[in-house]
Amino acid sequence: MTAETLVSINWLVLGPVVAPAAGAVLVLLVDAVAPRAGRVHCLTGVLALVAGLLLAVPGTLQAATRPLRTLCLAAPDGACLYEAGPLASALQLGALAAALVVLLLMWPTTAADAGLRGGPAVLVCLVLSATAGAAGVAAAHDLGSWLVCLELATLPAIALVALRGTPAAGRGALALLTTSLVSFAMVALGAALWLTATGEAVFASGSVGSALAEPDHRPVLLLGVLLMVAGLGFKLSLVPFHAWTPQAYAGGSEPVAAFLAGTSKVAALAALVVVVGPLADAGAPVLAAIGVAAAVSMTLGNVLALVQDDPVRLLAWSTVAQAGWVVLPLSAQEHRSAPAAGGYLLAYVIATMVAFTVVHAISSATPARGAVANRRTLTAYTGLLRAHPLLGGALGLALLSLAGLPPAVVGLVAKVVALRPVVAEEQWALALVAVANAVVGIAVYLRWFAVLLRDPEDGPAGPVVRRVPRPTLVALVLGGGALVVTSVMPQLLLGLLD
Amino acid sequence: MILASLVVPAAVAAWLLTAGRALTHRAANLLATVASVVTLAAVLTAVVARPTVDRAWVPSLGLRWQFAVDGVSAPLLLLTAALGVGVVLHTLDRPAAGGTPAAFHACLLLVEFGALATFFARDAVLFFVAFELVLVPMWVLISRFGDPHRPKARTDAAGRFVLYTAFGSTLMLVGILALVARAGTADLDVLAQGGGRGIPVHTQVVIAALLVAGLAVKVPIFPVHTWLPPAHTIAPTAGSVLLAAVLLKMGTYGLVRLPIATLPEGFARVAPVLAVLGAVGIIWGGLACLVERDLKRLVAYSSVAHMGFVAVGLASGTRTGLQAALFANIAHGVISALLFVVVGGLKERWGSADLATARAALREITPRLGFALIVGLAASLGLPGLAGFWGEFLGVYAAWSPGADRPAVVFRTVAVVAVLGAVLAAAYSLRVARTVWAGERTEPFIADSHDGEWDVAFVLVLVTVALGVAPGPLLAMTSGAVATIVGAGP
Repeated sequence: MTAETLVSINWLVLGPVVAPAAGAVLVLLVDAVAPRAGRVHCLTGVLALVAGLLLAVPGTLQAATRPLRTLCLAAPDGACLYEAGPLASALQLGALAAALVVLLLMWPTTAADAGLRGGPAVLVCLVLSATAGAAGVAAAHDLGSWLVCLELATLPAIALVALRGTPAAGRGALALLTTSLVSFAMVALGAALWLTATGEAVFASGSVGSALAEPDHRPVLLLGVLLMVAGLGFKLSLVPFHAWTPQAYAGGSEPVAAFLAGTSKVAALAALVVVVGPLADAGAPVLAAIGVAAAVSMTLGNVLALVQDDPVRLLAWSTVAQAGWVVLPLSAQEHRSAPAAGGYLLAYVIATMVAFTVVHAISSATPARGAVANRRTLTAYTGLLRAHPLLGGALGLALLSLAGLPPAVVGLVAKVVALRPVVAEEQWALALVAVANAVVGIAVYLRWFAVLLRDPEDGPAGPVVRRVPRPTLVALVLGGGALVVTSVMPQLLLGLLD
Repeated sequence: MILASLVVPAAVAAWLLTAGRALTHRAANLLATVASVVTLAAVLTAVVARPTVDRAWVPSLGLRWQFAVDGVSAPLLLLTAALGVGVVLHTLDRPAAGGTPAAFHACLLLVEFGALATFFARDAVLFFVAFELVLVPMWVLISRFGDPHRPKARTDAAGRFVLYTAFGSTLMLVGILALVARAGTADLDVLAQGGGRGIPVHTQVVIAALLVAGLAVKVPIFPVHTWLPPAHTIAPTAGSVLLAAVLLKMGTYGLVRLPIATLPEGFARVAPVLAVLGAVGIIWGGLACLVERDLKRLVAYSSVAHMGFVAVGLASGTRTGLQAALFANIAHGVISALLFVVVGGLKERWGSADLATARAALREITPRLGFALIVGLAASLGLPGLAGFWGEFLGVYAAWSPGADRPAVVFRTVAVVAVLGAVLAAAYSLRVARTVWAGERTEPFIADSHDGEWDVAFVLVLVTVALGVAPGPLLAMTSGAVATIVGAGP
């Protein structure tokens, strides 16, 4: 590093963010030269994401106290704007892998994207740029890049929902846009208050601790954090900021809904962890608010998921409930809280991506003769386990994992991980709410699982779809394989985080 | 050996569910028979050789694959493995309705796998994971392969089973996590040696209450027993047998392993409540049996009463009480398995299990079934010389002279009530014998028991008599482990 450089940059460390961003640019360039090359764009996107995945692996191997850093300022204090510890890198892996599945589902052979305007180039570009934002926010260590990456992760998602062009998609996109604007306003205001209170634009526990100690700065900082948590609550679909979720999920196509459930959630949680991380060290009482939000989200999400008949809406409400589980450990001030939230989120993302893959395969592929006409209902899944063992088995495993029941041990272990900090802190009331919700959650997912098992009234189930497109099959095998492997060896997932 | 007894049923079940889906009933049954016999052999060897397994599984959670055998778990392991063979043999000549035979046998093997893993586990969190393993296969057995005439009731019963027991086990998980956080280890042996030292008493009470409440659902103890009768009524015979003989025992076994062994002080405060609820269960179950019209439900309610005796014995805090509870556990496993084989067989033949319908007397037309039923009923009412006697007799005795830290008045009352419950048991057993077994009617005709069904029933009759005549070996098997749990008490 020479004396005159303002900031030192290590491109390899930045890789998980740069790879998808570069992929997005490349896709646009190729599209300008060869506008008709549909599959090339997807292939470029997939390659960019795989490169990002590979580059994110080194970060998970670091010790939590010695993260990979770059973008370090040459100034005397030498703060770094980018810090990728094991938790941040694991979340990056989750975001990139979820985006990879989404791209495979969007592959232009499928019939679903016929209704999407803009063509594959725009879609791929939007997915890649949002993924770059999600990967960036996980490792962002200062307010500026945190805000920019957070919005970079959000805005393309709105466009993705709107691109479908149907009235439902318009409504969904509008709901998403409105909440995003409100949440941005809250987050920006919160960030400004944070800056006022701590006097630093970097997330560091030292300055937070000194700000909390001062009676003048304490309320300002707490208000700022509360605003930021509320703003992120929108993105994470925590009650009472959840209202957009079912509309946007049902309005967009299944891959887009999967994107909202996967990469977007990872981005929101990563942003939350970055904020709460220094606070947990400093011991701030805002965490109680997170506990209440977690309890209410779980309860409302599960109860409403229990009465849904559209699988996408069911998964949307289940997202609300699972978001409660994700932030549950954050309400306990423990060093294990943030990794626990990350671990639960990753287990949830794997399972929900598999579920969306199957839903997409069922509702978009060419229907077999005599199959149920409307395939966005639970009845369309009757006897799936016997008619399509692969689809049915993968979906069944995903549902059991979301419910937290063996043989999908990964979901059960995730529940143990999420409950552990809460119980260790002896927050009995919150733990009991979680217990009740674990039971209601089982009811939600078993209701769907029972449909997979049931034979239709008139004899054994016939096939529902004629052929599953190959990219979807690849996504299914990747996701289902991840579920099986992490169920046998949950350490492969949890080990990423510490 | 331990790993072999776990891997064999799990692997065969996984294969049946994936590659072996198209197998015929006979082929699936043969495969499952071989698997369960191999498992039984492995369990026998493990019980004799007492090996241990200890390797890391999820280091970041401190979760280890830690398996071992001791006096408390050995009889339950043998019971589970033996009944694993029994239910598969019993299924041989009754192809399951409602799904593929491969799936049916896979579910049986998975339940066996989960139960064995629970009894082998020596890590508190691993115990919980194994405890949850049986839920889904049992749910499939009830909801898919249950009573084919009542689809609505099947969904109801299966859902109730899964939700109640999942609630209980998640409550137990909270207790386990609190215990592990406080004690700093999840190793059950270390926890038992620590005996809760270093944990403040009020925290001990909270944790013990959570553990007892969670496990009480599985046992089941009044008032959380309401999932049991529908589940038993609807489940196929093999499922009922596993449910009564194996799954309920996981609850009592958990009570011994977790609160009693690891938090004696906390459990002492909770014990009177447990004893009173056990006594209420005895009376409640007995009264329900007196008026119940469905034979399968009746046996299910009698299970509630019998598990009440076990709860009283566990709560008494004496070595005798714990011995009695463990003995009654095994005895109830054998007796209820016998009763469910007979009653399930009768239900298949009759088409329903309604006691109000006039039927041919078993004494006249099916002497074998009649004999097995009478032995089961006699054992269930606690007749000396049969398996049921020792557990109940010793349990009442233990409640009459409870441990020094237990309120004597409460426990003596409980003992009196339990004796009254035993009288009720005699009343309802004789009621069933009079309606079903005695009489002169020979119409409508039903076939007597033969082949697999009779073999299984006959072996169970033999074991019932053997346990009643010679309780010594079983009591000796558990006494060493019980002494280390209760200490040098009476």
